[in-house]
Order: sequence, then structure tokens, then C-alpha cells
Amino acid sequence: MKPAEASLPSETDVLVQRSFDAPAKLVWRAYMEPDLMRRWCGSTPGWSMPVCEMDMRVGGQYRWRWRSDENGQEFGFTGEVLEVVPHAKIVHTQIFDPGDLGVSMGGEPSIVTVTFQEADGMTNVATLIKYASKTDRDEAFATGMTEGMEMNYKRLDEELAVMKTRAPVV
Amino acid sequence: MNRDIFQAIADPTRRAIIALIALQAMTPNAIAENFHTTRQAVSKHLRILTECELVTQEHRGREIYYSLEIDKMKEIDEWLEQYRKIWETRYEQLDTLLTELKQKEKQERKI
Repeated sequence: MKPAEASLPSETDVLVQRSFDAPAKLVWRAYMEPDLMRRWCGSTPGWSMPVCEMDMRVGGQYRWRWRSDENGQEFGFTGEVLEVVPHAKIVHTQIFDPGDLGVSMGGEPSIVTVTFQEADGMTNVATLIKYASKTDRDEAFATGMTEGMEMNYKRLDEELAVMKTRAPVV
Repeated sequence: MNRDIFQAIADPTRRAIIALIALQAMTPNAIAENFHTTRQAVSKHLRILTECELVTQEHRGREIYYSLEIDKMKEIDEWLEQYRKIWETRYEQLDTLLTELKQKEKQERKI
């Protein structure tokens, strides 16, 4: 798969795009069902996902929380579902819950719009994160979320490098 | 992280200016020829880009040439790259999950 692309379409926005080799209805399930969501959002080496509650109907709430294996520190996201178009689009609010990572962020929620577009059995997923302000957006990256996870991704990079030398890439 | 950089690249005209002068240093007039806006508007964008330290000015005779500070652009790249990696790692796990779901569907069809 072509790797994810990230861009900054405006002062307050971040856009991430990626294609998946599966029909939209399957990708949709991976975003809608907590058990499936946990499989891909909660399997980062070094982190567990103790909370993955989702009621993905309009007006429904969700709560995701991650915990570091190393020191037990937690952070998460919560929000409310604003719009649901089955197999095509989900819009929800998102508030960063710093847990005990010790980073506080602006109280205004961001608006996350995920669109699913299927063509030839492939599905393009575009995630647009609209922050309440430019300051919020810049802070969101400068602080906890990336700092807290960077260490683990480095570890993952190392693991992946080892895996690549062991097995041919399928 | 320099917050000002993001202001610099937030505007589409400024992004276009960056793309232009990435190739070679240019005068404001030469830059303005590539846009439908006024020379004044281009000057304003150049001023913001200069304030954000994304471009530098160089006086050659009577003309001022603007060129891109490549290292500053790299800061943005690195920042976005780190963010992109976080998503890509998750997405790779999603790839695995989707492959599994597809296989399951196939098996169910057989039954």
C-alpha cells in the first residue's frame, strides 16, 4: 500500500489520506466496531488500550484510552458523533484527554471528518481534523500525543526493520 | 517547533510562491508575473514569508532577490513526517485486520 500522506490544507486543519486494499464496507466496520477498532488502534507495541467504548450513532459518545506498558501513564480521546453516512462518512468531535501525561490542551473540541471512497475494490480513507484554532492545532502536535508515542514508534521501527530482514515483504 | 512556519504555509498563494522560489531566487516583479494578484499583494506575502524566516532577501544592484530557506522548510517536513508515521503505523495494522476480514468473508461464502 502507498504510505499515508499528511498535509496542512489550512491554518486549522490537518488532512491524512491512505488507501486500503478492501471494500469500503469492511474498512467501515474497522472504524465502527470497538473490537475491530482495538485491533488496529490498540496494538501499538508498548501501549495497551484499556478503554475502547464506542456508540457510533448520531449523538452517541466514544472513549478511547491508551496506557503505557512502561510506566502506566495514560492518555486518550473522547467525543460525540455528529454525522453518520454508512460506508461513506463519519463526523465526530474529539477532545484530547491528557490523562496523567501532564499535558493540558485547549478545551475546544476538534471536528474529525472521515470519508471512505471506494474504487475498484480499494478504499481511500481521508481523515480531516479541524482544530478550533491554529494554536490548538500546533499545540496538539508539539505536545503529549506525539512526544508520548514517539518513543514507541521508534521501537516499532526497529522491530519492523528486524522483521524485514527475516521475511520477504508480501 | 516554530509556530510561524505554519502561518507561512497556510495560504495557497504563499505556498505557490514557495514552490516558485524553491527553484531559483526571484525578484518580486518576476514572482508577481506568475499570479493574477497585484504586485502589492505579492509583496505582502513576501513580507510574511520573510518574517517567518522562510525566505531571505539578497540585494543585487537595484533589485532584491528572494530565495527559500530550505532548512526551515525541512522543519515542517520533519514535523509532518513524524505525524504521518504515527498514522502509517496504525494503518499498517489496519491492513492486517482488513486482510483477515476479507479472508473470513470468503470462507463464509464457501459455507
